Amino acid sequence: MDHFKQLQEQVKRYLFAVMFASNLIVIGAAWAAFAYLEINVILALAGLGVTALVTTILLSGAATRYVLEPLHMLWQAILHISPGYTGTPAPDLKKIRLGRELITSLTLQVYQYASQSDSQDLTDHRNKVVQAANVVSHLPLPMFVFNKQLLVTNASDAALEYCQIESAQLFGKPLYESVQLEFPSELTLEAWISECQANKVTDKAYWERIRVRLPGDTGAMRQCDMAAYYSKDSPSGTEVIITMFDRTAQYDQDDQAMGFVALAVHELRTPVTMLRGYIEVFEEELGDQLDDELKDFMHKMQVSARQLTSFVNNILNVARIDENQMSLHLNEEKWDVLLPHILEELAMRAKMYGKEIKYVPGANLPTVAVDRVSINQVVNNLIDNAIKYSGESKEIIVTSSLNQEGMVETSVKDSGVGIPESVIPNLFEKFFRNHRTRAKIGGSGLGLYLCKALIGGHGGNIWVNSKEGEGSTFTFTLLPYSKLADEQKTGNNTDIVRQTHGWIKNHSMYRR
Amino acid sequence: MEPSTTPSAPITPSNSKRILCIEDEHFISELYARALTKAGYDVKVVIDGQVGLAEAKTNQYDIILLDIMIPTMTGIEILKELRDPTKTSPLKSKIIITTNLEQGLQGRAEIESQADGYVIKAEVTPHQLVDFLSQLQV
Repeated sequence: MDHFKQLQEQVKRYLFAVMFASNLIVIGAAWAAFAYLEINVILALAGLGVTALVTTILLSGAATRYVLEPLHMLWQAILHISPGYTGTPAPDLKKIRLGRELITSLTLQVYQYASQSDSQDLTDHRNKVVQAANVVSHLPLPMFVFNKQLLVTNASDAALEYCQIESAQLFGKPLYESVQLEFPSELTLEAWISECQANKVTDKAYWERIRVRLPGDTGAMRQCDMAAYYSKDSPSGTEVIITMFDRTAQYDQDDQAMGFVALAVHELRTPVTMLRGYIEVFEEELGDQLDDELKDFMHKMQVSARQLTSFVNNILNVARIDENQMSLHLNEEKWDVLLPHILEELAMRAKMYGKEIKYVPGANLPTVAVDRVSINQVVNNLIDNAIKYSGESKEIIVTSSLNQEGMVETSVKDSGVGIPESVIPNLFEKFFRNHRTRAKIGGSGLGLYLCKALIGGHGGNIWVNSKEGEGSTFTFTLLPYSKLADEQKTGNNTDIVRQTHGWIKNHSMYRR
Repeated sequence: MEPSTTPSAPITPSNSKRILCIEDEHFISELYARALTKAGYDVKVVIDGQVGLAEAKTNQYDIILLDIMIPTMTGIEILKELRDPTKTSPLKSKIIITTNLEQGLQGRAEIESQADGYVIKAEVTPHQLVDFLSQLQV
């Protein structure tokens, strides 16, 4: 007979004894009431009822405690080995009165299972740790692991080899003590980590074209992509993991392509430089002796040479933007002085095509944050377009004002052929040209693409309002210098160097 | 510092400032020399990198106009050597890079940390170059 059936029999016998005793007491009491006390029937029945109730209450309490004792012992055994209940003593199995064999055997089984799963867990855990360490160590990519204080706690062998550094020089220290990282935008590794620490539980990030200088590196910086993983308060103590992918060879190749553009630009610029130089000599030294027709020819040469210069610059800047090599040097400039100055230089070109630029200055314009060379190209391209697409109309109207958002807004308006609504969404794309006019009007399809990238780099916007047959108005906004300086918290009048994709660093430098 | 304070400097008319123009494009150097001479500068043109470097090291010049693509030695190499205290004792000259060659961001940053100015030749006429140089504190 198994232990459970044995317990069942015991409980049955016990309950039988209790119920039998209870019934005997009630019958005995009834018999005594009728035979000896001769109490009347109603009183006797009431007495019997009370007796039955009291007897049942007393006996059921005792029976419950007795029957549940084995379960209690088992419960105590489980608590005893649970990690959360360390104060519970082991059950005294000798004291079990009911089902001792069953409970003893069950308790032993519980203990056995517990000790087994304990050692199983530990082995598993140890295996996982070893496995993880192995993965980190043998991952064939430079990988760095950081703790909450952003000190390096582990690194792959490939990382040590890549950096040509001993683990002792790297571990327990901030990474930048050995490895210098430069990011193409304001979202640096540290900025991302701060953002994660403030707002995230886990997160991932990926960067391209990070410039890296390793200990012992001289000359040009390496170029890497980088992936990072963040996990807040991870129990393993690992807060950040980064992996680097060295793409120096590939990116250098891209830069070589840029080098080809640079070389072509050089070859184009050299004759332009000479042309402009000689034309200037003629103009300065012959100017007075020339009749009107020859003067006009001279101006046309000048305008053409300048046009070639700006076309060359457009090509170069598009290549720079595409290769992430464009940087803007934003300076504080008086827009109501700079803009008329730029327009003045373009007036002659407009005049050559029978157009006149009319400037309507806005009142109380704040100083703006601009890169002189780039903003010159933007205005150049917009005026150039206005000249090309203004058709029969003679006037190009340029206005500037302070808009409601506190940005300095500049518009270039012509009353020419206008732009069909269907092509407006694509207008600022590279190489886009309106199919209806491209056969009649020359152009590279780079100008507006460039304007958008450059204005974007200035922190502004550019858009167009146009109606076919009625002309177009191109409008762009620029940040007031004070706003930009606030953003940068520099507070001083040094240049702010900015890439078309974002900020890099404050930098005082000059540019022609 | 005026050239007259340098004993080795030859006597030049009208107390003029001296310019060394290291430039191999003959047409361009001709234009620059003409405009600068008319503006009262004393100009020496050199078309070769190594010769230009040796000339620059004599420290006779207030301004050095330095092209980048020149024979025997690039303008960048010359700039580095002129700014390297172990190779050249400090010069009084302001060094202005005059080039039509575009640099990458890194190359440009390196040049800008060492030179006193950077001019894209196609962007300026000789007259504008003279105006630019007259603003330099030499």
